[in-house]
Amino acid sequence: MSVSEGTASTGVVDKLLTINGWAVYLFLYVPILIVMIFSFSDHPNVGIWGGFTLDWYDRMLGNDQLMRALRNSVIVAIVSTIVSTILGTAAAIALERYRRWLGKRPFDALLYLPVIIPDVTMAVMLLIWFAQLDFRFGLTTILLSHIAFNISFVAIVVRARLANMDESLEEAAADLYAGRWQTFRKVTLPLIWPGVVGGALLALTLSLDDVVITSLVQGPGATTLPVYVFGLIRRSVTPEINAVSTVMLVASMVLVFMSLGFQRRAETRE
Amino acid sequence: MSAPAVTLSNVTKRFGEEVVAVDEIDLEIGDGEFFSLLGPSGCGKTTTLRMIAGLEFPTEGSVRIFGEEMGIRPPNKRPVNTVFQSYALFPHMSVFDNVAFGLRMSGIEGSEVDRRVNEAIELVRLSGMGKRSSRQLSGGQQQRVALARALVNRPKVLLLDEPLGALDLKLRQAMQLELKDIQQEVGITFIYVTHDQQEALTMSDRIGVMSRGKLLQVGPSEEIYESPANRFVAEFIGETNFIEGEVTAPGEVKLSNGTLVKARTHSEPGSAVTLTLRPEKLNINAPDTAVPPDRCSLEGKVHRRIYYGDALFYEVDIGTVVVDVMVENRPGVPRWSEGDEVVLDFHPEAAEALTE
Amino acid sequence: MTQLAEYEKVEVNPELEEKAEKEKARRGLFTALPAYVYLIAFFAIPLVLVFVFSFASRSRTGTPVLADWNLESWARLFDPLVAGLAWRSLWLAVVNTLLCLLIGYPFAYWIATRQRSSTRNLLLVLVLIPFWSNFLVRTYAWRTLLDVDGFVTQFGEATGLWGQLLFTLPAVFIGLLYGYLPFMVLPLFAAIERIDWNLVEAARDLYASGSDAFRRVTLPLSRPGIVAGSILVFIPSLGAYVTPDILGGPNTTLIGEYIVTQFGAARNWPFGAAVSSAILIVMLIATIYYFRSGGRTL
Repeated sequence: MSVSEGTASTGVVDKLLTINGWAVYLFLYVPILIVMIFSFSDHPNVGIWGGFTLDWYDRMLGNDQLMRALRNSVIVAIVSTIVSTILGTAAAIALERYRRWLGKRPFDALLYLPVIIPDVTMAVMLLIWFAQLDFRFGLTTILLSHIAFNISFVAIVVRARLANMDESLEEAAADLYAGRWQTFRKVTLPLIWPGVVGGALLALTLSLDDVVITSLVQGPGATTLPVYVFGLIRRSVTPEINAVSTVMLVASMVLVFMSLGFQRRAETRE
Repeated sequence: MSAPAVTLSNVTKRFGEEVVAVDEIDLEIGDGEFFSLLGPSGCGKTTTLRMIAGLEFPTEGSVRIFGEEMGIRPPNKRPVNTVFQSYALFPHMSVFDNVAFGLRMSGIEGSEVDRRVNEAIELVRLSGMGKRSSRQLSGGQQQRVALARALVNRPKVLLLDEPLGALDLKLRQAMQLELKDIQQEVGITFIYVTHDQQEALTMSDRIGVMSRGKLLQVGPSEEIYESPANRFVAEFIGETNFIEGEVTAPGEVKLSNGTLVKARTHSEPGSAVTLTLRPEKLNINAPDTAVPPDRCSLEGKVHRRIYYGDALFYEVDIGTVVVDVMVENRPGVPRWSEGDEVVLDFHPEAAEALTE
Repeated sequence: MTQLAEYEKVEVNPELEEKAEKEKARRGLFTALPAYVYLIAFFAIPLVLVFVFSFASRSRTGTPVLADWNLESWARLFDPLVAGLAWRSLWLAVVNTLLCLLIGYPFAYWIATRQRSSTRNLLLVLVLIPFWSNFLVRTYAWRTLLDVDGFVTQFGEATGLWGQLLFTLPAVFIGLLYGYLPFMVLPLFAAIERIDWNLVEAARDLYASGSDAFRRVTLPLSRPGIVAGSILVFIPSLGAYVTPDILGGPNTTLIGEYIVTQFGAARNWPFGAAVSSAILIVMLIATIYYFRSGGRTL
């Protein structure tokens, strides 16, 4: 467990480590909290408290463009998550459970690229391709782009879960007369399910987060929430953005807690 | 006579170009037999078992179960079930659901499932544990669930891959007897893989000793122990002494220190042999004792004495080699000390002259 | 039932075993096929296209014209303006990676070794929560803090330590550190947690001091985590767009923004493709180095 060091300097090292630890947490949370607090502040300058108000939330709800962008974000996020989860899970299974097949190595490499490539580059790639194909830029191109990067993330999460799973369980199922699909449905899938859900939630978050790729492949009229907010920020900073931000933050946190609760429940059930 | 339960004909398994895991094995295992495949790790015994189960396919040769050729039939189409080394219990299912799995996959439902599952759970003495999650069980209990899960399907042959490896000594010894009882009660063929020679000796009707992919000797426990076919088998099972010598006549061997002894020979006069003699087959006597005429004697000096509690081990230097002698620790039996001159004696039937 | 007849061959031979293997391989390919096809269509091909178009020439509207191949766009990369930009971005990415390492390593070490295993998960979750919340919002949060009336500015002015930090390079550093610290912490934690502490105790038993044991045992053993975390921070930092834009403003142009303008106001797609290709090459080299130095898959 903890390493016992037994020299006099331990106390100092320990203290420094603890200070660093708490500093990091402060660093991570204070900005978020400030945004949330000031979304209720009645003052045009963000940073000066002007009394409690819900005005900014009112304005936000009345902003048609924003609401439309929100709707687009949700649609794109849900659809791209579903598609990329199915494709990503299948990819993970093919890589972890089948030793050799044609083109496996290149596929393995191909699957990692979207994870490490900077999103600017990916945005450019897709823009050029869609332009070349003469696609109409709009929600479809956004959707296609999100699926493209999400497959890999889902695959990584599911793969980790698959690798940790005892392979002899699938052998036991076969030994007990289960066919391939039956083995998958009754043994493999239930056991990797937390990984699948984890991957899906990751895909959902990444889709809702995306700014660069979406802004390059979107069309006139249809935009997503983060891109819209990005535009707002560049033009002028008003506390209305704080309100939107708070809503987005709370939504993400709800998702995180849901996923954690799910993980916890899945683990105790096993 | 009905077909043997399992027949392996010239079975070979190669992995890639170079690795030969199983090398031309011919084996027949009878119906109702408790057969053990015994050998050190890496000898190919588990691979052989998996080929019977259908989890691997042979590169060459055939696997027949009750005369039926298995070919590349997958495991879910073979009338055998396996108890895995790690038990492989489904962690997301209860004990009941684990045991019921094979039945359900075969299309059996309802009250018959209930009946048979409860029967199996009772057989392995876990009544009342049906609803427990498999994760909450101890090692021994998990092992029994794995057994019930396999037996409930009434397979023609049960394959067990080192099932007791993860248990501590006392529990393992108790489970060995239980497994043997269950086998005799159920009456089906058990094929048991282990590296523990003690386990194989106590439980099996017959043992197949394997090393480096080859089947070295097959026979009942007694035969394997008393008449090993070669050095490897002699050394792997129990303790033994090796003394070099040359066959001078059938039944007679001249040892490298010049002594002439009688032994069980299997080769021509003039051939070089290794005499294998187990420590408990030797007696230690005082130097001038008269040795009975039907026994052979060797002169030597005690080099070291080791106290084992239930027995005493003496290392005796007979000139060319040091032999181990085991003497039971009983009141009245004389004890010898380092440096004592002694005479060892043994019965010729206990000495095997091995050529390899 | 007729299927069984196929299996009834008299003697298995290597061909039959091979046949079974081939069938399994086919099933594997089939399972991966949808994802494979999709990624080729919407990733591999676009990737190749970027390289191809970097050699194209520019039409009136800025789109690439393949008819006239040239190396103009690539030559322009060595333009002092562009080279300076690229250099600054590279330097920024490296410094950010080092900062994340300097702060992230003690943090990961603290969680892995100074906390009980029951609290460790909770602490990690607490790091993950900001990580999971919207990236844009988090960067915006810093904008408000660093703005004219922001708290950080107020604090700085009051203590005389600094003035307005917004729209300066330090602001970008803060933003990048904030955004990518979790990417460094998580692989580091995973690597440090895996260390067999018996080895450190053995070192102490062999007369090593605390810092010696750390330097010679713990640090080298945590190397996979260091490398993984560094890659995960370095590459996105290189192409950072949102953070420099929001926090750095017009004064600090980095390569991410420069690329995006090529497809916007500057209307020079081939050049944009060339700059992107350059980044891709750097990234490829970094990844190959990672795998060559024994990095495991993420």
